Amino acid sequence: MFALPQKNFRAPTTCLGPTCTQDMDRSHGDDLEGECSRKLDQKLPGVGDPVMLSSDTSYLSSRGRMIKWFWDLAEEGYRTYHMDEYDEDKNPSGIINLGTSENKLCFDLLSRRLSQSDMQWVEPSLLQYPDWRGHLFLREEVAKFLTFYCKSPVPLRPENVVVLNGGASLFSALATVLCEVGEAFLIPTPYYGAITQHVCLYGNVRLAYVYLDSEVTGLDTRPFQLTVEKLETALREAYSEGVRVKGLILINPQNPLGDVYSTEELQEYLVFAKRHKLHVIVDEVYMLSVFEESVGYHSVLSLERLPDPQRTHVMWATSKDFGMSGLRFATLYTENKDVATAVASLCRYHGLSGLVQYQMAQLLRDRDWINQVYLPENHARLKAAHTYVSEELRALGIPFLSRGAGFFIWVDLRKYLPKGTFEEEMLLWRRFLDNKVLLSFGKAFECKEPGWFRFVFSDQAHRLRLGMQRVRQVLTGKSQVAEDPHPSQTQKPSDQCSSAELLKLCFSPGPPSPIKQN
Amino acid sequence: MSRRSDTLPVPSGQTRSQVLRDQSIYTQLLEVMWHLQQTMREHFVQLMSRQGLLQERRHIQAIREQEALLSRLLCQMINLLQSGATSGLEPQPLSSEDSRGDVRYGQGTQLAGQPDPVPQLSDCEATFVTRDLSNRGTDISALYWSSFQDYNAYQKDKYHKDKNPLGFINLGTSENKLCIDLMAERLQESDMNCVEEALLQYPDWRGQPFLREEVARFLTYYCRAPAPLDPENVVVLNGCCSVFSALAMVLCDPGEAFLVPTPFYGGFAFSSRLYAKVELIPVHLESKITAINTYPFQLTVDKLEEALFEARLKGKDIRGLVLTNPQNPLGDIYSPDSLMKYLEFAKRHDLHVIIDEIYMLSVFDESITFHSVLSMKSLPDRNRTHVVWGTSKDFGISGFRFGALYTHNKEVASVVSAFGYLHSISGITQHKLCQLLRNTEWIDKVYLPTNRFRLREAHKYVTAKLKALEIPFHNRSSGLYVWINLKKYLDPCTFEEEQLLYRRFLDHKLLLSCGKAYMCKEPGWFCLIFADELPRLKLAMRRFCDVLEEQKQDLIVKQLEDAMRE
Repeated sequence: MFALPQKNFRAPTTCLGPTCTQDMDRSHGDDLEGECSRKLDQKLPGVGDPVMLSSDTSYLSSRGRMIKWFWDLAEEGYRTYHMDEYDEDKNPSGIINLGTSENKLCFDLLSRRLSQSDMQWVEPSLLQYPDWRGHLFLREEVAKFLTFYCKSPVPLRPENVVVLNGGASLFSALATVLCEVGEAFLIPTPYYGAITQHVCLYGNVRLAYVYLDSEVTGLDTRPFQLTVEKLETALREAYSEGVRVKGLILINPQNPLGDVYSTEELQEYLVFAKRHKLHVIVDEVYMLSVFEESVGYHSVLSLERLPDPQRTHVMWATSKDFGMSGLRFATLYTENKDVATAVASLCRYHGLSGLVQYQMAQLLRDRDWINQVYLPENHARLKAAHTYVSEELRALGIPFLSRGAGFFIWVDLRKYLPKGTFEEEMLLWRRFLDNKVLLSFGKAFECKEPGWFRFVFSDQAHRLRLGMQRVRQVLTGKSQVAEDPHPSQTQKPSDQCSSAELLKLCFSPGPPSPIKQN
Repeated sequence: MSRRSDTLPVPSGQTRSQVLRDQSIYTQLLEVMWHLQQTMREHFVQLMSRQGLLQERRHIQAIREQEALLSRLLCQMINLLQSGATSGLEPQPLSSEDSRGDVRYGQGTQLAGQPDPVPQLSDCEATFVTRDLSNRGTDISALYWSSFQDYNAYQKDKYHKDKNPLGFINLGTSENKLCIDLMAERLQESDMNCVEEALLQYPDWRGQPFLREEVARFLTYYCRAPAPLDPENVVVLNGCCSVFSALAMVLCDPGEAFLVPTPFYGGFAFSSRLYAKVELIPVHLESKITAINTYPFQLTVDKLEEALFEARLKGKDIRGLVLTNPQNPLGDIYSPDSLMKYLEFAKRHDLHVIIDEIYMLSVFDESITFHSVLSMKSLPDRNRTHVVWGTSKDFGISGFRFGALYTHNKEVASVVSAFGYLHSISGITQHKLCQLLRNTEWIDKVYLPTNRFRLREAHKYVTAKLKALEIPFHNRSSGLYVWINLKKYLDPCTFEEEQLLYRRFLDHKLLLSCGKAYMCKEPGWFCLIFADELPRLKLAMRRFCDVLEEQKQDLIVKQLEDAMRE
């Protein structure tokens, strides 16, 4: 029964082998973990170097040691933040988290809905081994839901749906079944940085960046605009470096830009991908969090004709749009049966409880509640919170980007960095943290220009007010610090290490981490 | 912008891209052929070279890798030839234009452009030649389909006494369906339904602290740990196969291996291979009783030593030993003495030991005491002993997706947590699990006695049938299964015949597992899961008897024919 592909088992292409270490090392060469490792290296010889690392811990495999190395950075950050988490009563001087992209505005609505009697259903089939693609009743509901909310011209089909325990799992599974070890996806930056780990941990797949910049010139009509020319250039560069690119990842609505792609743009990117036979993973996890009515959001599933439907794979989840990141529910929609089947083959490892599947089906089915209660209220609250933060920023004379989608504002703090370096960005971020407000800095999103920060505004008013107050304190007191930097803070190697420690705080691979989650 | 996209579907553009596409296929083909040539040359050089004994291991490894590469390259060539051939014959571009709602795009889309006379490949083979997946993606799909197609058939055509009386009955998947009534009732109690803000937000990826504390308490109590277990040593993931997959990732590098005594639950072979690319090397046990084999399928340290030695001789890097206790499918329980010996063996060779105790509360023979490895006063190698437990079997809730790792090794616990976000459990489910495990009174007074009683009854029913049929079997004490010997129905006694008999059960809408799936060395063994409700079990056993009767008749005819011929 388990005999079939045995002959391929040891094929070098599927082996991480000793090359794994090199691959990972190389693949992270120019991103943050790599940078972090180099910095650590200067201070603590041997610790940052995975090869040397291997000698002193005896229980793990070499890939295990690599993973440990990354994870320890994350753990430390996680602990630091959680040791001093803000609590209105218990720890009013604790850290306010405007760094994690979670919607904390609608818990009241959700808890009421999830406590209704229809959610408490238990039946035998829900307690037994499921269809690994997800229970059929749920896939049917997902297909109907997406047909409706993505405005699909034709009814979407349940057999094209695969259900998993979260977007991270879906990225991991897609990376594994679409790419070989060391191959890559193109991704426009700034982007939600945790994807790096999602595709790397099991899949050992890397990301090739399409760097966007804020300057509006020539063909660009707005900051950080993605164009086909930029995609072409990035693809060429990747090839010239010997990196095989298998696909393109698009996040729409965009994280962290809070913008959406027009249908024409989407179409162009898809045609580009088709031209190069690239898969396109479109992450639409914020599709219902477009709170500004003037923003015309178009799901890729709404297009009349997909240029390459067999290579277009759509992701959606309840984490953001329904403010339930702890529920662990995500879904893939793809017309490619092979891809759906291959992802489903990995679903043994990414399954979710039958009872939760039932609850999700009930939730998605309840169109009345979604349309009349949840979405209007959620959008109104998002808008109010957004208005508050953007007005605060305007009052401070700080430029920002945000067109009314998502939970965040992409804030331009470049004028607070006299030299315009990432070290300064880090120091500023540290100042915020010292003043007990946690933000995400641009480097975490692979932003090319130092000085950009992501502010998450989808939090309760009292926390948001306090958070913005702390931000204001830092920025208004900032000039003095910028003019008079402590030499020790930027020069000495020991302080390079301290900025590496800061990196640890930021580049944790997953959600408990203060910053790097979606 | 829009103008450009308007011009896109014009035929001339398509033709051009078609030409480019074909060209690229031929270039790729040439590339692959060149590669193939290179590899073959290297392969022959490697085969002819003789190296010292020290090099032997690496030598074998290299040969094996080259062979794998050769087959991979051939496979790629076939793919390319196929896509090239199809595009050559097909006037329409085969790379799909919008197909939504298009009926043609049903099955095997990668063959959409294939001319009719070419026979359609079966699902499994079709998956194998897809162009859209990576090689490993293709492997994963193929492995999955080859192993689970019957299970999927069952999922689509399940028996129901009114709605689908002719559907499949599954005595092949190890699930406890006897106490679903109790569980459903328990899960509907008010303490189960809690929606707190923290449960809906990003969790601690090792598992919510409240659940890890409860798991530690639960295991301390039911495993009779000499000292309270530490919640910090617990990692909670969505199922034991996830735990196993993560462990395989962090303990082994690709191509390295674990030892497993066989027959052995095949699902783990999966977990180690799909993502982690870790191999399982069988320690073959035998059914025959001999001087060294005091009972059937006995695991001894000698056999472990021998298997380890042989594996190392073949150049395998063995990183650990996997034990299931109570055993699946044998139902045996290791005595504390033998357990200690296995652990000492592992320590001697610096091997990790992963102990799967997922059936620990399913010991239905009251005269037998199960000893968890966590009950030992001192472990030979604490830092290399990792215990896995989950609720799927003992509480019959495989659909809950919950598995826990307990390890004294903080390093391992911490690295396995890195996989937490890929194997996480819903906060709402974590709450339910915590409530379930916390209520030891219900577990001790209601659930466990009932469960054991029902398991015993079902076991009694099935084994009585087996005795009547004079079918030898194993397991009188624990688990959800009996391990049965159907050798007398196979002539000749081969794995091919075993497979045919398995098919015959399937034809009668009965799903069993055959010994091959458990990596058993001897053909003719089957695993039969008895933990099902009596009406279904009765019908299943009727089908079972029918199949064997049919098989027997066939055997008689065959023997007669053979006799006539002679």
